[in-house]
Amino acid sequence: MAFSETVTRLRYRVFSDRMVGELLSKSWIDSAIPASVLLIVVVAASLIIPDFLSMGTLGDLGRQVAEFGLLGIGLTIVLMSGGIDLSIGSMFALCVLAALVCMNVLGLPIGVALLATLATGIACGLLNGVLIGYLRLRAFITTLVTLVIYRALYDILFPRLASAIVGNTPDSPLWDAIGFGNFYGMPISFVIFVVLALSLHICLSRLRPGWRLRAVGGARRSAHNAGINVKLTVCLAYVASGVLTAIAAFLFSARLGSTGADTGIGVEISVLTAVVLGGVSLGGGRGSVGNAIIGAVLVLILTNSLIRLAMPGSVNQLILGLVLILAVLFDAKWVKNRDKVLNKLYVSPTYLLLPARAKTEPDPYALNDRLGATELIGLGEVEGPEDVILDRHDHLYTGTRHGTIERFLAPDYKSRETFATIGGHPLGLTFDRAGNLLTCVGGMGVYQVSPEGKASKVTDETNRSLLSIIDDSRLRLPDDLDIAPDGRIFFSEATIRYGMSEWATDALEGRGNGRLICHDPRTGVTRTILRGLIFPNGITICRDGQSLLFAETWACRINRYWFDGPRKGQREVFLDNLPGYPDNINRGSNGSYWIAILGMRTKTFDLAMRKPAFRRRMARQIASDEWLFPNINRGCVLHVSAEGAILDVLWDQEGANHPSITSTCEHKGYLYLGGVSNNRIGRVKLAGSDPNWTAQADYWGVS
Amino acid sequence: MDGVLKPNNRLEQATRVLTLPSIDNLVAAGSTAYCSGGNNLYSLRAEAGSLRADLAGSFPGAITFLAADSAGRLAVGVADEGIRFASPEGSWNQVALAPDLARCAVAADFTPDGSLLVCIGSREVAAADWKRDLMQHGRSGTILSVDQAGDIVTLVEGLAFPYGIAALGDGRFVYSESWRHCLVRRAIGSPHDISDLLSDLPAYPARLARSAEGGFWLTAFAPRRQLFEMVLREDDYRREMMATIDPSEWVGPDLSGESRPDQPLQAGSVRQMGVIKPWAPSHSYGLVIKCDAEGRPLESWHSRADGTMHGITSVIEFQGIVLATSRGSGTLLNLGTSGAPVESRP
Repeated sequence: MAFSETVTRLRYRVFSDRMVGELLSKSWIDSAIPASVLLIVVVAASLIIPDFLSMGTLGDLGRQVAEFGLLGIGLTIVLMSGGIDLSIGSMFALCVLAALVCMNVLGLPIGVALLATLATGIACGLLNGVLIGYLRLRAFITTLVTLVIYRALYDILFPRLASAIVGNTPDSPLWDAIGFGNFYGMPISFVIFVVLALSLHICLSRLRPGWRLRAVGGARRSAHNAGINVKLTVCLAYVASGVLTAIAAFLFSARLGSTGADTGIGVEISVLTAVVLGGVSLGGGRGSVGNAIIGAVLVLILTNSLIRLAMPGSVNQLILGLVLILAVLFDAKWVKNRDKVLNKLYVSPTYLLLPARAKTEPDPYALNDRLGATELIGLGEVEGPEDVILDRHDHLYTGTRHGTIERFLAPDYKSRETFATIGGHPLGLTFDRAGNLLTCVGGMGVYQVSPEGKASKVTDETNRSLLSIIDDSRLRLPDDLDIAPDGRIFFSEATIRYGMSEWATDALEGRGNGRLICHDPRTGVTRTILRGLIFPNGITICRDGQSLLFAETWACRINRYWFDGPRKGQREVFLDNLPGYPDNINRGSNGSYWIAILGMRTKTFDLAMRKPAFRRRMARQIASDEWLFPNINRGCVLHVSAEGAILDVLWDQEGANHPSITSTCEHKGYLYLGGVSNNRIGRVKLAGSDPNWTAQADYWGVS
Repeated sequence: MDGVLKPNNRLEQATRVLTLPSIDNLVAAGSTAYCSGGNNLYSLRAEAGSLRADLAGSFPGAITFLAADSAGRLAVGVADEGIRFASPEGSWNQVALAPDLARCAVAADFTPDGSLLVCIGSREVAAADWKRDLMQHGRSGTILSVDQAGDIVTLVEGLAFPYGIAALGDGRFVYSESWRHCLVRRAIGSPHDISDLLSDLPAYPARLARSAEGGFWLTAFAPRRQLFEMVLREDDYRREMMATIDPSEWVGPDLSGESRPDQPLQAGSVRQMGVIKPWAPSHSYGLVIKCDAEGRPLESWHSRADGTMHGITSVIEFQGIVLATSRGSGTLLNLGTSGAPVESRP
């Protein structure tokens, strides 16, 4: 191997590009950029402004964050619902007035004052909510109008009450504590804010109201079709905004104890700047409490720093406006291009060396046409019969991409019935001792179908690996399965990085993305037993009952793995450097095995597998239909002995009927053929094979 | 791809006149048409509404081109030897070419004064090894003028595989440059009179023929694909491919569809539910374009990925009908009457 190739191999083993794409696919990546901006701003501010990180400054900042952050969360909820609330500034002013009138002028108890403030906020929010949610008015214009109305109300009421507010001071220690008190060094208002923010975060990200809100903001019509009460959800978003504004106003009143004519003016712009800067999308459906807080802290640090640097107020506003425009611009571009970037970066090929094949004479893989004249079953009636299997009554079963298991009735297989409807594309099929049909369903998991045709889930998740960035606990592409004598189900998951529709993209990566999993029905536990396998595909339990054979498709090899007995845990290569890509493996008569070969290796693709950078550029530069691919327009079937010696090779020379063969099943002297992208099942008579042999008898004794 | 080059199936629907493996170049010399196939020259005669091929000569090397005109002149390019002009007495006058010119003389046409314009596709590889020239970014193509006395004048050099030529009669000539996917018009004797008639064609152009209406016919022997263009940019991959893999298994254009399991495949060409899609990114394609005198396409005939009439290398008008050769399938096709009105296509 050339030196440069060794470097390539090590480079891809040590520094995999996989992580970049996987990180980008996480939903929290939306917050990562604002968070790092915040970090930069904090560092810059602490360098430029003396005493920035002192306790006094931080305490002050904490109180401001409490008020400003609550307003930000309120606006975030509205933005997530797909609307906007411009009236929060005026609403804030009205709520402050309500709190101060109750406390200072009327001398009511603090509880009553809080309720009155909340009632003011709810009333204002409800007006917005009913107008926008139920009467379907435009959010922008509606809240612009209520902004003016609430402000007018404030301007009418405030002059009449101003002197009374200033003239009295409430006698409430709790009121003072909320305004000035500390709790273990932290301002009490900040503690209140933290508690509220945490519970809102859980509600928005983990509970049903939050999911509904996101759904409504992300796709209103789909949310409606999914049965969500869109009008109520939108209305409640504005009410929530009113409530949070009221709480913020209450904290503000306790801190300042008075109000002025300009209270709440321009607040909507700074809050809007904050949340958009924090990463909440103006388009709706995207955002979180975290985004709102990051944005609020950013804007507060920015404005405080500008004040400390003695900037005039108008310049302050100008800078804030510019920041808002930049944030909106970034938001628009990010939402639009995020998926594009992800698509370009997610595919991350790695180095895979497949040794060149020496030509031997006679070539055991010489082309023949033994599968050229198969008898076709269900031509045009089944789409995607990945695996085929026959039961004790000689009926033929196969899965289709329409999410059903079809049954062709013996003896002529001319009539067909839908045996079970599962919902996903059933791939590997096998019968257990009791005659239940077990199947690996792409995108769903392992399912069981009773002889009466009733489908039930066996397992759809396994243990999550510690160091995996993407969540690999859910099964994405379970492929083939087999059952050990004690009932344990062993199945392969071809790749954890791609779903059913993109399995071919995994060929371009050539990495060990797949795994071998065991489900024990006695305990109900599913555990991953081998990781890092290169597209593990077909599985069959060996006749010793202690080991199994599994194919690694892109690596063109078949391994044997011992799950029991003295060699438990060991793995060895059974067949290596195959001329094609092995798919399902099944038992045959006389102690043999059948291996379906999905497609043939080509030298150009083998070369590409040694050049990951070439494949990565291919994935980025050209359309996926144009990608270089293994030649799966020709497949063949290998018949091998229990020791791995090639007994026979059967080809469809033209590739017209069976271009790629994904499974075989020997049954009473015939071989049945399936293909995942085919629309027919093939049947060919096997010369010289045992006409009574069935897999059921081989596995479970009496047929 | 709307407009004149919108894909159709007209090459698949065309009458298959005869099958002749390795059929390549067609010419009409007066009242007789000829075609080449390997080392043999065949004459084509109309017989009972069909055409019959008769052996008209055999040569020591593969025939790389034929040229003829309405006056009955005929010239044959023989690999590794040179050019043979047919004399009126029925014998051949031989004009030898230098070895680097004789390997890959792929097309020629007579000017009205009887001299022959010859396209040398490449001076580095043999005609049969054209794929290597593409993969090494060949720029050694040459156009010569050869008269019957054997005087050779080089007209243009440094071309990217000139694969078709037609003399226009006004001292100008049109040639196709395969690896640059273009059609260029030049004047003999005035090197600065150049115009690109067609550029950025979607396929690799091959031979040309004059049409009776004043325009000409253009064939294309293989499609351009994003993957091929990418491999042509990827020096490291391409060099290793050329050094270690047989040309028949390379990623790149071909004259016929993949027939062996070891040939490369592109993802969109996978047979799905028993069907290869017509839009699949195949290695081969069939395309004939009828152009006006300024090179504007007027009409086109296609054989798409799901067809077999691929690798069209030659087309002529002969006795009112249009004939084309599919080298990929070894078929002589009758495209119908020439000059027929443009029919509405689906």
